[in-house]
Amino acid sequence: MWRALLGGCRLLRSRSAAPVVGAPRAGGSAAVRNAGGGGAAAAAPEWRQATDASLPKFNIDFVVNLLRQENAKDICVIQVPPEIKYCHYFIVVSGSSTRHLHAMAQYMLKMYKHQKEESDPHTRIEGKETHDWLCIDFGSIVVHFMLPETRETYELEKLWTLGSYDDQLAQMTPQLLPEDFILGLTSEEQ
Amino acid sequence: RGDWSEDCWGLCTRSKEPDLSLSFLVSGACRAIQKLTRVRVVDNSALGNAPYHRPPKCIHVYNKTGVGKVGDKILLAIKGEKKKALIVGHKMPGPHMTPRFDSNNVVLIEDNGNPLGTRIKTPIPYILRRREGEFSKVLAIARNFV
Repeated sequence: MWRALLGGCRLLRSRSAAPVVGAPRAGGSAAVRNAGGGGAAAAAPEWRQATDASLPKFNIDFVVNLLRQENAKDICVIQVPPEIKYCHYFIVVSGSSTRHLHAMAQYMLKMYKHQKEESDPHTRIEGKETHDWLCIDFGSIVVHFMLPETRETYELEKLWTLGSYDDQLAQMTPQLLPEDFILGLTSEEQ
Repeated sequence: RGDWSEDCWGLCTRSKEPDLSLSFLVSGACRAIQKLTRVRVVDNSALGNAPYHRPPKCIHVYNKTGVGKVGDKILLAIKGEKKKALIVGHKMPGPHMTPRFDSNNVVLIEDNGNPLGTRIKTPIPYILRRREGEFSKVLAIARNFV
């Protein structure tokens, strides 16, 4: 499903806590920013304004324009619901080679340092020793630069949009406690 | 009054006494994760979930002190191989307002920092984000946060 949406910049709305009926329909989970769709849209504008106020210059539009400028392939921007208190936007980007990934990451960091205020925390590039996966955590935005093969293996977009309904999670066998496990005073959870 | 306290004590000891019909000693949690602690691999990697007659054990902690807390890298001996891993939760109580887990959880990692598995079902603490180190990849494949 999500494969058809790649090849450009698509803003995906990830699933909220309430289970939504119907498997991700083709094109249904791609929500354009202007169009309202689902309960998430109503709550989105208020806190998106709040995020814009915190970093007026370095926001999601700036990051996406930068990535387009750098010829990044398959830019995937996922808006993370506020229940998952990790970040506001989760971006996955492909590059053509290791050098391309390193160049994109360094350019992104350079622009962030140029734009940031004094109060914003410093960021660093993680995964510099790897040849296929780099990432930068900007607080409210997290950007992952991967090679296409690595992207296929990990399928981060599926995890962050589908949440609990992800197929790789379902394939994991649930771990059961062994019969001779000793229960202490505190109750053990499964 | 003495009888009541004895009874009370008796009740307490009876509930505390585990069924010691096993041949090995099971100790409680002392320090967090050090050499020779048995750990639990929580990701869906093939190496972590393959059955083996010995549990994965820590053989080295990459730390100045030999004790590993959440976010420290350790060396594990799994299935007769050495593999690096990242601690994501331990049984020892940590600082205030940090979660304490019922098992010593660990995520397998390559030497360059890439995680071996692709999904983590158990909750991962938020403190990892604050700590200095390369944790964004582990946070990206996690499902639940605590």
